[in-house]
Amino acid sequence: MNTLQLTVLLAGLAVLFFWLGRWRARQLARVQGGFKHLHSRPDYYGLVAALWVGLPSLLVLVIWWMLEDRVIAQIVLAALPEAMAPASAAQQELVLTRLRLINSGALLVPDGVHWQQATEQFRVLTERSQYGRQALVLALAVIAGALSWWRIRPAQAARTQIERLLHGFILLCTSLAVLTTAVIVLSVLFESLTFFQAVSPWTFLFGTQWSPQMAIRVEQIGASGAFGAVPLFVGTLMVAGIALVVAIPVGLMSAIYLSEYARPGVRDVLKPLLEVLAGIPTVVYGFFAALTMGPLVRDLFAGIGFDGVSPQSALAVGLVMGVMIIPVISSLSDDVIRAVPLSLRDASEGLGATRGETIRHVVLPAALPGIMGGILLATSRAIGETMIVLMAAGLAAHLTLNPLEAVTTVTVQIATLLIGDQAFDSPKTLAAFALGLLLFVTTLVLNLIALIIVRRYREQYD
Amino acid sequence: MVFLRRAEPPQSSSALAAASATQSSSGFLPGALVDRPRLSARDISVYYADVQAITNVSMDVAQHEILALIGPSGCGKTTLLRTFNRMNDSVRGCRVTGNVIFDGEPIYRKGVDPVALRARMGIVFQKPNPFPKSIYDNVAYGPRLHGLVDRQAELDEVVEASLQRTGLWNEVKDRLHKPALSLSGGQQQRLCIARTIAIAPEIILMDEPCSALDPIATARIESLMRELARNHSIIIVTHNMQQAARVSDRTAYFHEGHLIEIGTTDQIFTTPEQSLTEDYITGRYG
Ligand SMILES: Nc1ncnc2c1ncn2[C@@H]1O[C@H](COP(=O)(O)OP(=O)(O)O)[C@@H](O)[C@H]1O
Ligand SMILES: [Mg+2]
Repeated sequence: MNTLQLTVLLAGLAVLFFWLGRWRARQLARVQGGFKHLHSRPDYYGLVAALWVGLPSLLVLVIWWMLEDRVIAQIVLAALPEAMAPASAAQQELVLTRLRLINSGALLVPDGVHWQQATEQFRVLTERSQYGRQALVLALAVIAGALSWWRIRPAQAARTQIERLLHGFILLCTSLAVLTTAVIVLSVLFESLTFFQAVSPWTFLFGTQWSPQMAIRVEQIGASGAFGAVPLFVGTLMVAGIALVVAIPVGLMSAIYLSEYARPGVRDVLKPLLEVLAGIPTVVYGFFAALTMGPLVRDLFAGIGFDGVSPQSALAVGLVMGVMIIPVISSLSDDVIRAVPLSLRDASEGLGATRGETIRHVVLPAALPGIMGGILLATSRAIGETMIVLMAAGLAAHLTLNPLEAVTTVTVQIATLLIGDQAFDSPKTLAAFALGLLLFVTTLVLNLIALIIVRRYREQYD
Repeated sequence: MVFLRRAEPPQSSSALAAASATQSSSGFLPGALVDRPRLSARDISVYYADVQAITNVSMDVAQHEILALIGPSGCGKTTLLRTFNRMNDSVRGCRVTGNVIFDGEPIYRKGVDPVALRARMGIVFQKPNPFPKSIYDNVAYGPRLHGLVDRQAELDEVVEASLQRTGLWNEVKDRLHKPALSLSGGQQQRLCIARTIAIAPEIILMDEPCSALDPIATARIESLMRELARNHSIIIVTHNMQQAARVSDRTAYFHEGHLIEIGTTDQIFTTPEQSLTEDYITGRYG
């Protein structure tokens, strides 16, 4: 019986005990003269019994599973004779892998009595563990189920118990999400700290030179690397800024048109069409930026007398990225604008305001918190966008404020830092974590600022 | 004549037929016309898509009078009220035939700007709907919009005067720049009335302005209406029979989109001529 079959069996048992529990609750109620004597509806009693069958046994199953491998490995390793005893952790792992492969039939048993003994022991232990696990889990399921079934009383607060369990489950899910975030942040933080042992935070934050080329081998001649993040951040902010300059007006105006002026039929067609923009893979935007927009921008500016415009200009990248994030703003804004109550528009129009005046003075201010949310989301997407910049902008990091020159961004550098072979603990690799941390802090600060703006605004008007 | 939209008790429909017979014989209902009217509805019909909500309504509103529109829910009172200042223009699928004459000019005609019209006819809605702005900004909204004042001091005066007339000034003068939504329901509705009179409209339309208010707030608004009627004509929709009897000079009774009876409030409440009106007033309706 494998684990899948065991799980199915457990589920069957749980269903069985659900029926049994419900039946018993009904019987008890009937004896006393009706369901009104039960604390909860019969289903709840059945559910409690079923959960007693399922939860403890599943828990034991999982724990056993996690420990099984390690325990067996310890026993087998301890039994190995001196001659075969592995010297290092790596060798230990090697021996165990070999045993596992032999056990699953992928390898033949090597010659030598020791190997045969070890293999045999490994097989026996694995088998026993499996039987033991099945027996324990099934026994636990049946005993716990039977006990809880036996203890069903009309006064039992089954409904409250289920409620409490649900509460716990919800809490568990929430803490999982929070924990994951914490783990990610902490790991980034620790790697960054290692990086900051090699490169001072000051140089990293305020240095204007970025060239992370490190010597791969000790004897190689090469730059020792420069890790000043300023050019990357200026590049990121410039590209994202250009994107927002495109996306905010266009997105907001489309939202106003969609929600206030378009007839329902037109809106039903236009809104999905606009949202398609968000569904295009960024790679496609990338080559559009690299092959079409870049040369176009260069030719355009060459036409009006600017020479030496880079075909990989920040302007071209920002324009394309702006198009990509239009739907983020327009779609969210459209929703919040439509949520502004009709009574407010009526009030404004009843005072003799035109449609446009009503939108400017009443609808948009009322929708502002939601619109800010959309803009913020779009900003995060712009800052986090990698592929377009990777394909259409340069890799060379030079500090410039000229949107007609090539720039590079934080995310692109993170990506390129981790491509290729290098030691995992070299500053070059660790720099990626430091950049990630800085990016994380930047977005966090942006979020906080937006939150404060929205709250101020609410205080004023709510 | 097809005007029945849903099945209904036979005696009601025959009463309705009797009522419309009165109308068709004279062209206008007795009591529908006044000398030197301020506002006149002529043969107004309103349709929502294919559903007719108002059928051939003709009546006058006199200078400085309070006219009450009463009738069962869904009989078209709100629809008619919104026809007077063309608020129905922005309702999709709504169509109006006939005309409304305001100061001798038809308002359903090419070249009439509904926006300018609405500035001359204030409207107060059933539920208080102050803007999510400060108390001051709510009242100042209309005057700012129409450029009625040149200086800040003038605006302050208009705001104060409007709040004074609605009796709200003493309650809010220390917190003019606090959010309007922090006021109580009754205060909010008086604020909405203040916002409306701040643009000095000639006619005030009120759609059940007290239906969300307690008796004390209602009494204040009723006395305010009497006060406003010295300078304005007021049309008020109300569900509350006592309110109609207390505040209005004339009363019009509607049934299923038809104007059944119109006359002085005294006459309608003491000696109604139509059985439909009598049933409704005495609470026998439905
Ligand atoms: N926007 C609308 N679209 C479609 N039908 C409407 C609309 N507004 C009102 N109606 C219909 O018109 C009729 C009259 O409504 P209304 O004027 O609100 O009545 P009252 O104010 O007397 O309760 C009702 O049958 C209502 O369902
Ligand atoms: Mg109504």
